[in-house]
Amino acid sequence: MLYCAPTGGFPQDRRVQLPAFEYLRPQSLAQALDWLAMYGTRAAVLAGGTDLLLAMRQRLVVPEVVIGIGDLPELRGVAFDGEGVLHLGAAETLTTLAGHPLLRVGQPALAAALQSVGSRHVRNVATLGGNLNLPTRCWYTNQSETWRQARVPCLKTGGDICFVIPGARECFALNGADGAVALLALDARLELASAGGRREVSIAGFYRNDGLAPTTLAAGELVTAVRVPAAAGRSTFIKIAPRTGLDYGLGTIAAVVAGDDDGITAARLVLGSIASWPVRLHEAERIVVAGGLTPATIEAAAQAARADLGELTNL
Amino acid sequence: MVRKADLTVVGRDQPRLDGAARLTGRAEFTDDVRLPGMLHAKVVRSPLPRARVVNVDTSAARRLPGVRAVVTREDAPQLAVGLHQPLFDTTVNYIGQEVAAVAALDEATAAEAAALVRVEYEPLPAITDFEAALVEGAAQLHPKAPGNVAWELAEVHGDPERAFAESAFQREDVYYTNPSHNCYAEFHVAVADYTAGGRLTVWTPSQSALLFQKALAAGFGLSEGQVRMMTLHTGGGFTGRSAVRPHHFVAALLSRKAGRPVKLRAVADEEFIMCRAGGRSRYRFRSGLGADGRLKVVEADLAFDSGAYVESQMILTTLTKSYLHLLYRLEATRYRGRLVCTNNLPYYFHHGGGLAQMQFGWGQHLDALARDAGLDPVEFHLLNAVGKGHTTMSGAHFASCGLAECITKAARQAGWGRKYGRLPKYRGIGIGIGAMASGAKGVFRHDTSAAFIKIAEDGTMSLFTGLPDMGQSSHTAMAIIAAEVLGARPVDITVISGDTDVAPLDVGAFSQRGTFNTGNAVIAAASDARAQLAKVAAERFGVKIAQVVFRDRQVWPKGAPGQAIALKQLVHDTLHSREGRYVMGRGFYNSPKASGTMAYSFGAQVAEVSVDPETGVVTVERVVAAHDVGRALNPRIVEGQIDGQVFSGLSQALYEEVLMEDGQALNPSRLDYRLPRSFEMPAVEHIIVESNDPYGPFGAKEVGEGPIVCTMQAIANAVAHAIGVPVTEMPMTPSRVLRAMAERREPPAGDPPLRHLLRGRRLR
Repeated sequence: MLYCAPTGGFPQDRRVQLPAFEYLRPQSLAQALDWLAMYGTRAAVLAGGTDLLLAMRQRLVVPEVVIGIGDLPELRGVAFDGEGVLHLGAAETLTTLAGHPLLRVGQPALAAALQSVGSRHVRNVATLGGNLNLPTRCWYTNQSETWRQARVPCLKTGGDICFVIPGARECFALNGADGAVALLALDARLELASAGGRREVSIAGFYRNDGLAPTTLAAGELVTAVRVPAAAGRSTFIKIAPRTGLDYGLGTIAAVVAGDDDGITAARLVLGSIASWPVRLHEAERIVVAGGLTPATIEAAAQAARADLGELTNL
Repeated sequence: MVRKADLTVVGRDQPRLDGAARLTGRAEFTDDVRLPGMLHAKVVRSPLPRARVVNVDTSAARRLPGVRAVVTREDAPQLAVGLHQPLFDTTVNYIGQEVAAVAALDEATAAEAAALVRVEYEPLPAITDFEAALVEGAAQLHPKAPGNVAWELAEVHGDPERAFAESAFQREDVYYTNPSHNCYAEFHVAVADYTAGGRLTVWTPSQSALLFQKALAAGFGLSEGQVRMMTLHTGGGFTGRSAVRPHHFVAALLSRKAGRPVKLRAVADEEFIMCRAGGRSRYRFRSGLGADGRLKVVEADLAFDSGAYVESQMILTTLTKSYLHLLYRLEATRYRGRLVCTNNLPYYFHHGGGLAQMQFGWGQHLDALARDAGLDPVEFHLLNAVGKGHTTMSGAHFASCGLAECITKAARQAGWGRKYGRLPKYRGIGIGIGAMASGAKGVFRHDTSAAFIKIAEDGTMSLFTGLPDMGQSSHTAMAIIAAEVLGARPVDITVISGDTDVAPLDVGAFSQRGTFNTGNAVIAAASDARAQLAKVAAERFGVKIAQVVFRDRQVWPKGAPGQAIALKQLVHDTLHSREGRYVMGRGFYNSPKASGTMAYSFGAQVAEVSVDPETGVVTVERVVAAHDVGRALNPRIVEGQIDGQVFSGLSQALYEEVLMEDGQALNPSRLDYRLPRSFEMPAVEHIIVESNDPYGPFGAKEVGEGPIVCTMQAIANAVAHAIGVPVTEMPMTPSRVLRAMAERREPPAGDPPLRHLLRGRRLR
C-alpha cells in the first residue's frame, strides 16, 4: 500500500548492542562449574539473560566468555523432597514457577512475588536464580557507557563519590529482587555449588546490605536450587510500583503470619526494594506478635519499621 | 451540505488498509532499508552541557579498519540546523550535542571509531534551570539572546486593565510542566544516499517531506528537486518529526563524504537525545470574571525552556497565543510567551502541541476561578463557550461548533450533576474542554495539499498524495474519501505517498491539516476523475452529466438504478473507446483564508479519579470523551484517535517526566521513563458529535489533537476535587500529590521537600 524503496543487499548488519564475547554451553553442571572456576571473573553466567544482556549492552559487564546454564537439567525441577521442603531449580523460569500449582496453592507469597517481576515476556525467560542474583541498581550507574562518561565515576564504577547521597561513604544502590523478599519471609535456604563443592546458606546469610557486593556468592559459585519450607502460616506479597508490572518496586513487602484464636503466634515481615538487601523487620514482628493487630499496634509496627530503616527511604 | 443518508462509505467502520501489514511485520520502516554498499554511522557527542571545543582529533578513528568517513566541523562550516545551531558548533551547549561523526562498514566498527575520536573541551559554566537563566545578571548563553530570552511574542486584544477593573472575581495561578519525551513506536533513524551527481535521497520518518526537502536542499546548496525524500511506514509523529534534526544532516554529510549510502539510527539512550519533545515550562494565568459569571479577560504569561538552540520552537508561542481565543467569548486578552535559552537539549513539544500542556494549567485556573465565584465548572463552561458563527477577537471564525453539545453530553453521561461535590473522600470528578485548528496557513503563504488518482481497467485505483501516514490512519481516510466520491470501496484504492519523486506536494501531516486539507484535495482529484467518467456515462445513458450516480462500484442514471453498469465496465469502455481515454483525476486544496484556519474541532472530557491518600497514587477510573469532529469519516479510527490521546494525556498528566539533573537525563530508557500500561488505562467512553463543517471533506474536521487538549486538565481538575487542593505541577506523581495534600494540612514552611523526595526516588 505504500511506495517502498528497494531493499536487500548486505546480509550482515553487525550492530552495536553487545560487546563481543565467546559463548560456552556446558553439557553438565560439573562442566559449567569447572569453566566458572577456570575463567573466574572473566566469565558471566547466562540463564534467562534479561538482566545480563542489558548490563552487557551498557558495558557494565564485559565478560570474555558467557556460560549458558539455562537448560542444564541439574538446575531444573519443582518438587517436594522427603521432608516437605519445596525444592526449586534455580534455572526454572518465573512463568513456570509463578504458575506452578505447588507455589500458587502452597506458597502464594512466593508465587505473587515472582509474578510481579517484569512483564510476561521477561518472566518467560527470566529465572529464579537470576532474580536472586539481580544486580543492585541506581540511576547513576545503570546507564549507557556514553551516559556514564559525562560524569566522574561513583563508588560503584570505581570512583569515590555518590551522586545519590552526597558525602556517602558506601553505595546504597537498591536491591529489587522480588523473589528474595518472599523467600526471606518464608525462611528459605539456597543451595550453592562450585567446582570445590556444595554448601547451603540461609537467605539472610546470602545477602549483604552493600550496594557494591550485595551477596556472599563466591567467585566460581552458582545458585543451583532454592529450598522453601512449608509456610509457617499464611503468606502474602505486595509490591508498590509506579505502574502495574514492568517495573521495579518503590517498595515491596512479604509477610508470613501464623495465628490462632488468641491472636498472632508468629510473624515474619520483610521489606524489599528499599535497601541493598531485603530487610527483615524484627521489631515490627515482635510488636504484632505481642499485641495482635489493632490500629495502635499497626502504627507502632510501622514506626518501628521506619526507625529500623533510618533516613534512607524512597517514600 | 452532504446528507448522511447519501453516504455509502463515509461514516462506516473501515479497518486500516495497512493494518495487516503492520501487525504481521511486513510493513517496511526506515530501519528496514538496506542499500547496496550501505555504511553505518555513529555520532560523537558532547559529554558536557557547555564547553568550548578546543580540538577534535580524528586520526585514530580514521585509521581504524572498516571506517569509510569521519566528519567534523571542517566538513560543514556553513551547515546550520534551524535558526541558530551550526551542525557542529564551536561551543557545545548541551549534553549529547554532535561534535563529529563516523561511518563504517558496520555499526559496531562505527561505535569503536567514534570512541577513538579525541575531543578536547574547555568547560564553561552552564545553566540548566530556565528560571535561573531568566534571573537578572545570569550569564548570557547566546549572543543573540539577551537576558537568555531567545524569542518573545506579546499581544494584547481589547482593554485588559479595564476588563479586570470591571471583574467581580479574579485570580492568578502558576503552573509548571516538566521535560517529556515522545515515546515513538519507531526510533529515530535516517538513511541518506548522496550520489556523485548531486542527488540526495533521504529515507526517514517525517511528518512533512516538503519541509525536509527544503531544509536539506538549503543546507547542502541543492535545488529542491535534487533532494528526494522517502517516507515509509512511520511509527509516530507528535509534531516532533515535522522538522529536520541534526542527525539528518549528519547522515547526508557522511554519505556525501563516503560516496555511499549511510544509515544513522538511535541506539539506547540516544533516542532521548535525538528527540525534540517538551521542556520544563511555566504558565502564569490571571483572569477576571464578571458578576454575571461571564469570563471577561484572560492574561497568560508563559515561559518555555527551549534548551540550547532555537530550532523551530517559536511556533509554541504562536500556537498558545492563538489558542487563548478559541474556547470562550472574551472582552480582552493579554499574552506573553518567551523561549528561554538553557544548556538542556533543544526542546520542542510533546504530543498535545504545547496546548494540552498549557491546558493542564489553564483548565485548572478557570475551574478554580469558577469555584471562587460559586459556579459549577460545567455551568461556567456552558455560560462562556463559543458557538457556531462566532468570530473571535483574534479573527478566528467558527463555521461549525459543537462545543456546548460536547460539554452537555459528556457531563450528562458522566453523571456530573449527581457526582460533582458529592463523591466520597479521595474520589473526584473533573472536566476539561478544548478546541483545535484543522490546518494552519502560516508556514508558507499557501497551505496546499494536492492529490491525483488514476483508475485501472479493472476499476482499482491508485491515489497519490504527499501526506504521510504516521500511524494516524490518514491513508485509510483518504481512500474512504476517494471511494465515496467515485462510488468505489476503500479496498479498491491503493494510497501512494512518501516519495517526493512521485507524490504531489503537501505541506505535511501537522497542525491537524491532513484530513481537512489533503482530504479536500482528494475530493477535488476524485471529482475530476468522476467528471471524466460521468461524461462518458451521460452519453451512454442519454442523461445530463449531473444525473450520473456513482455508488457501490456501480454507475446509473439518477432514478434508474435498474440501468446500472459496473464501474469497471465504464472505465473499460472509456479506455477502449475511439478516443482511448485514460482516467486520471487531479486536484488540490488551499485554504482561501489569508492565514489561519477554516475549521476548528471542539471537545469536552470528564474524568473520574480516585487518590490513595497513603501513597498519593492517582487512579483514573473513568473518562467520558465527547468530540465534535465535524463528521466521523471512519468512526472506528476516530475512536482509536480518542483512545490514543486519552492514553497519552493520562500518561503525561500522571507519569511522564524526563528527570533532568545538570543537563543530563536520569531516566533515558523505556524502563525508567515510565509510560503507564493498559492496566492503568480505563475504558474510554466515546461520544462523537457531528457538526458537519461546511468546508470540511464531507463535513469532517481534525481529530488528531483535539482530544488530548482536554485530558490533562480533566484529570487535574478531578484530582483537585478528590484531595481538595490543586496539584500545580505535571506530571502529578505520587510525591507531588502527597506534597499538595501535606501543604493543605499545614502551611508551607521553607523549601519544598520535593527535591529531597526526588533524591530518594533516584535510588532506583
